[in-house]
Amino acid sequence: MTEIRKIAVIGSGVMGMGIAAQCANAGYKVDLLDIVPEGATDRDAVAKGAIKKALKTDPAPFMHKSRARYVTPCNLEDHLDRLADVDWIIEVIVERADIKQGLYKQLAAVARPDAIITSNTSTIPLSILTDGMDPARAKRFAITHFFNPPRYMQLLELVTTDATDADVVDELRRVCDVALGKKVIDCQDTPGFIANRLGSLLLQAASNATADHGLSIEQADALAGRHFGFPSTGIFKLMDLVGLDLGPYVSKSLYDNVNQGDLFREEYRESELLDKMIAEGYTGRKGKGGWYRINREGGGRVKEVRDLKTGEYRPVEKPEGAALAVSKKGARAVFKAGDHLADAAWCYMSKYFVYAAEHALDIAQSIFDVDEAMKTGYGLKWGPFELMDVVGAAWVAGKLAEEGRSVPPLLQQVGEGTFYKVEDGERFFMLGDGSYQAIVRPEGVLLLSDIKRRSEPVLRSSAASVWDLGDGVLCFEFTTYANSLDDSVMAILNNTIALIEKDEAWRALVIHNEGRNFSVGANLGIALFASNIAAWPQVQGGIKGGQDTFMKLRFSGFPVVSAPSGVAVGGGCEILMHSDAVQAHAETYTGLVEVGVGVLPGWGGCKEMIRRHSANKRSARGPMPALVKAFELIGTGQVAKSAMEAQRDMLIINEADSITFNKERVLYDAKQRALSMVEGYEPPEEATFRLPGATGRAAIDMALHDFHLKGMATDHDMTVGRAVGQVLTGEDTDVTEELTERDLLKLEQKYFIKMLKEPKSLARMEYMLNTNKPLRN
Amino acid sequence: MPVTDGYNAPLKDMKFVLHELWDASELSTYEGYEDASPDLINAMLDEAAKFTKNELLPLNQTGDREGCVLENGVVRTPTGFKEAYDKYCENGFTSLSTDPKYGGTGLPHTLEFMIQEMVVSTNMAFGMYPGLSHGCYNAIYLHGTEEQKDQYLPKLNSGEWSGTMCLTEPHCGTDLGLIKTKAEPKGDGSFALTGQKIFISAGEHDLTENIVHLVLAKLPDAPEGVKGISLFLVPKFLPTAENTPGQRNGVRCNAIEEKMGIHGNATCQLFFDGAIGWMVGQPNKGLAAMFTMMNAARLGVGMQGLGIGEIAFQSAFDYARNRDQGRSLGGTQSPDRAADSILVHPDVRRMLLRMKANNEGGRALAAWIALEIDKAVKHSDPQVRQDADDFVQLMTPIIKSYMTDAGSEAANLGVQTMGGHGYIQEWGMEQLIRDARIAQIYEGTNGIQALDLAGRKLGAHFGRYLRSFFHPVSAFIEANVSNPDAVEFVPDLAKTFGWLQQASGQIAQSGMKDAEEVGAASSDYLRLFALTALAYLWCEMALKAKAALAEGKGDAAFYEAKVKTARFFYKRMLPEAQAMFKMISAGKETIMALDEEAFSFAA
Ligand SMILES: Cc1cc2nc3c(=O)[nH]c(=O)nc-3n(C[C@H](O)[C@H](O)[C@H](O)COP(=O)(O)OP(=O)(O)OC[C@H]3O[C@@H](n4cnc5c(N)ncnc54)[C@H](O)[C@@H]3O)c2cc1C
Repeated sequence: MTEIRKIAVIGSGVMGMGIAAQCANAGYKVDLLDIVPEGATDRDAVAKGAIKKALKTDPAPFMHKSRARYVTPCNLEDHLDRLADVDWIIEVIVERADIKQGLYKQLAAVARPDAIITSNTSTIPLSILTDGMDPARAKRFAITHFFNPPRYMQLLELVTTDATDADVVDELRRVCDVALGKKVIDCQDTPGFIANRLGSLLLQAASNATADHGLSIEQADALAGRHFGFPSTGIFKLMDLVGLDLGPYVSKSLYDNVNQGDLFREEYRESELLDKMIAEGYTGRKGKGGWYRINREGGGRVKEVRDLKTGEYRPVEKPEGAALAVSKKGARAVFKAGDHLADAAWCYMSKYFVYAAEHALDIAQSIFDVDEAMKTGYGLKWGPFELMDVVGAAWVAGKLAEEGRSVPPLLQQVGEGTFYKVEDGERFFMLGDGSYQAIVRPEGVLLLSDIKRRSEPVLRSSAASVWDLGDGVLCFEFTTYANSLDDSVMAILNNTIALIEKDEAWRALVIHNEGRNFSVGANLGIALFASNIAAWPQVQGGIKGGQDTFMKLRFSGFPVVSAPSGVAVGGGCEILMHSDAVQAHAETYTGLVEVGVGVLPGWGGCKEMIRRHSANKRSARGPMPALVKAFELIGTGQVAKSAMEAQRDMLIINEADSITFNKERVLYDAKQRALSMVEGYEPPEEATFRLPGATGRAAIDMALHDFHLKGMATDHDMTVGRAVGQVLTGEDTDVTEELTERDLLKLEQKYFIKMLKEPKSLARMEYMLNTNKPLRN
Repeated sequence: MPVTDGYNAPLKDMKFVLHELWDASELSTYEGYEDASPDLINAMLDEAAKFTKNELLPLNQTGDREGCVLENGVVRTPTGFKEAYDKYCENGFTSLSTDPKYGGTGLPHTLEFMIQEMVVSTNMAFGMYPGLSHGCYNAIYLHGTEEQKDQYLPKLNSGEWSGTMCLTEPHCGTDLGLIKTKAEPKGDGSFALTGQKIFISAGEHDLTENIVHLVLAKLPDAPEGVKGISLFLVPKFLPTAENTPGQRNGVRCNAIEEKMGIHGNATCQLFFDGAIGWMVGQPNKGLAAMFTMMNAARLGVGMQGLGIGEIAFQSAFDYARNRDQGRSLGGTQSPDRAADSILVHPDVRRMLLRMKANNEGGRALAAWIALEIDKAVKHSDPQVRQDADDFVQLMTPIIKSYMTDAGSEAANLGVQTMGGHGYIQEWGMEQLIRDARIAQIYEGTNGIQALDLAGRKLGAHFGRYLRSFFHPVSAFIEANVSNPDAVEFVPDLAKTFGWLQQASGQIAQSGMKDAEEVGAASSDYLRLFALTALAYLWCEMALKAKAALAEGKGDAAFYEAKVKTARFFYKRMLPEAQAMFKMISAGKETIMALDEEAFSFAA
């Protein structure tokens, strides 16, 4: 039984490097091996170069700079012997079976007999890779197919066979799921596995239909929209994002490997335009442009798109069409809209449905796994079977029959019913024989959506719901737009705190939700409107109300654990800082971004930054270094690019807190954390501060002035920066005076309102609300 | 003799708002307005006061009686209009604020708005002829090609040619998306327009040698609704190479409306039968082009309300102090006469003071927005320009709606003050009711103005337009809470302002979920807004007046009257604001509760 402690990745291309980085993120020591370039003095130059490049890549493969040191650059000539120590070797080299097989032979010679070897191939079947392999090795060989970029894409396709050792399967699943945080889906050993098989068909059929029905690219992208649960990129923008040069390669290999008569072979087309574009370097976002580009000629910024009739770029037009006009009414309305867009949509979506229904059970263990793979691999809201339920499976089948097309067995089987059903709060999916199986989550996975299906909320308002997680732990879920915070959120949060304080049944609180953003902070629209109508008492009330609520969180008589994932900025960050513990998803992006909208943290963010950095034993002595650090973080509106950064560099997450890599495990871990704190819980002691006042401000003003001179700060940045400086230095205080947390909160209030009276701050808010980008005025 | 003949332009009050309440001297700091010194502005106002009284007022009642006559497709305006019009042009009133590049005088809009008030007071029906030309000028100026500008603007400026705005059709008034008039491209850059327009003011007349119609129409492939409307320029006579009226174009007037008031202005049915026209601005962007000049036009209509309000007030007051009926409830005032003048009666005073307070408050508001219009066009700092434009956007529907309501009310109160003598034609007062009434309807009905305010302006840019009003007023309240001179006003102002804030918040919030809530609140909200604005202005004016009194400068009686009128406004008019707030807060429920069948049980 092998426990994976050390990992080697062979091949330091984008994928290999990405995988190595994610292993390092998870705390593994990784050897990264690549070839020795001809005539090189530094024989590890290839792997070293990859690491160096990774440190500059955005979005970053590493969660923290220091994690690059976990990866040791090696080469395949001098360091093969190091593999003797390695528990898991991941092969990520060129997609050629013969070369891979050659490598495996080399590995067999050095690797421990119990080592696990996997390939990251996306196209070559396991049976071919293990062809001719020593059966003892083959039993410990599998495919672990990551998606690009490995840190950010949730899906991992795992291909094993009946012959694979059970401990290998278990250990790979554990490491990939728990440690690396991936959604591990078991796949059959078939070409393209699940996601690329169905995804390639979808993209190909959609491209074909676009051309055959005379759609423009804008129309095609709008057509492949939210109503199908597709991401906002649609079809062509998605291709641009992924890179145009990869698609033809995957398609071709799929074409070669699927059976004769496979629908994909019928759909497969080579595109002259696409080949020409790739040849000319138009490979998408990473290249000179793709289907779309931004034309900056003459200093302009014109969004352009390829005209499919001429193949040339032209300015993007607003797509129109009957199908688009009804798209808000849902997928079926789109299919029934009656125009050529509707025909195109049905043309490719029906093929996608048929293909999924025909092959689901030969490529995956269940339709559920197919849906999960498509959702996590392609960023869809619904997998194909869930989508068919949305459209109406019987309606789809009926339309196919009407058109004289054959209806796949699964669609026949489902009949008038649905692929999924909910009974007594449990969700079931349909099996091949028409019976249903309950969805069971792995140990350690707790999903709020499951709990919500099973139970009624303990409290609910239009702004938030409170759920019973069992064992006396409540979960507070924001339900506002983008989980923004306003008076109504504070009201129910206060009620929740009061409830737990009062009712012995409740012992702890977890703050969590399954949205894309944990919270984007205060509802800017409301704040801006209130400021525009000069409703200062209400604005002040809103600031004070938030402060009071967060102080209650901090000093309540029970543990509060925040469990964020995604964006947690502004007020969302302040919640984390007023919780007893944070059980963060590794992909948590948090920070105090208020200056970007012309204000400063007003719900205790300034206070917490001072407290945390002053208490930091690693920072230099005296009050100033901590204040300068806090000023830097707040004054530049810095956002952590990972939970790890938030913890190590920004002190938003406490040192004692641990990070969860798999999003689906965050809530479970948070609940356990909360329970572990219940016994003998004591609220923290209130902090006191000695701040330098005017003398300290001189230093901050100097720093600001310097930024200004260098052109890094605008006049208004200076105004806001000075206000931040006033709060952080305690305004009129000096070191002989002891300030309380409340004193600092009052200062936050005062300067927050002051900034709201600045038209330029209000202009920043408006710009942010309109464009989602900061205004540098 | 009509009682209205006693009218004199309220020059003292105009100068007070321009130079004491506001600071119109700032105008001369803008590039292009260097000449517009306070002295020049005052001199121009004096001049205009004389002209309007001498030339326009005498034609007001006769014009109303005589009306316009359509004969053989040609409209004859009332006797004297043509001569007055020519003098009007000679005096440069048609080109007061327009661009010198096209023969304009380039004076501030502020001055023009003040003069407009006088023109309306003395002859609203007449004033509409040059008024529409001005709208036409603006549309071409902002959206026309260089060629169109060179060809038409000098003619409009000189007054040789006049203009119209052709939007309305039989089946479409408010809802311009329903327009049917078609414009077919002729291939040479021109278009052939076919369709029927109705209610076109100044659509046909004998004052000018040519008429330039601006027509909303649809291109053959235009999208449905308001997104498919384009704007066309269709001259009555096609200009020759020398830019003189040439060939008669295919647009004809085949009827003029018999109507309630403004009889001196022709309201025409126009038929376009393959009439040749040219596009102004972009295809399908016609409505937007039309609307960029609407602010000025709507403010102009607001001035119609004010103009009528002023002459109604002056006339009613003049009548009241000379009409003896009954004795004062407080004891006889004029024992030498058979009865006291009706001015002693509280109820008569109530009516007159309502008129006075609305007029002077409205004038202060109009001057404010007029100065901001000039600022929005001329100020050197783009941020200042934007802020000023925000304010203009916000206040335009308020001015249009509140001031035309107030003008209509004033005309009615004028008639009431005069009793039966107000109702008969001879005294000229009933004409004011009839003339004033249309201003509440055209250029977007007052209901539509309220929707524009509550549905569009309120929420636009997350309330940014509101800021241009709310911040100065909030700062004013803050600055004056402990000002002893302001103590009699500021608490009520603050309370009203608070209601307006609350109402704004409520509408913004409920409106996001339910647009009907906005519709239900809109008219009351606009009125609450207007009352708050007037309260602010009356407080400002009272403070200026008190300061002048303390300094002992100027006409003490004038300033004392200001303070007393301010008090009247605060005690006897502002309380309406609370009622408005209550009605807004009640929401749409009771408004929407009745089914269509339940409205009437008349068989
Ligand atoms: C003397 C005179 C001169 C005119 N001059 C011109 C001119 O020069 N050029 C020109 O183009 N037109 C002109 N008009 C037309 C005038 O602008 C229209 O009459 C006006 O826009 C209203 O349209 P309507 O009469 O069709 O009323 P409708 O649009 O039928 O409105 C009837 C009522 O319904 C209300 N209403 C309609 N829609 C809504 C809505 N969406 N929400 C709430 N309430 C609504 C209105 O407020 C009104 O109270 C003139 C009219 C007159 C009488």
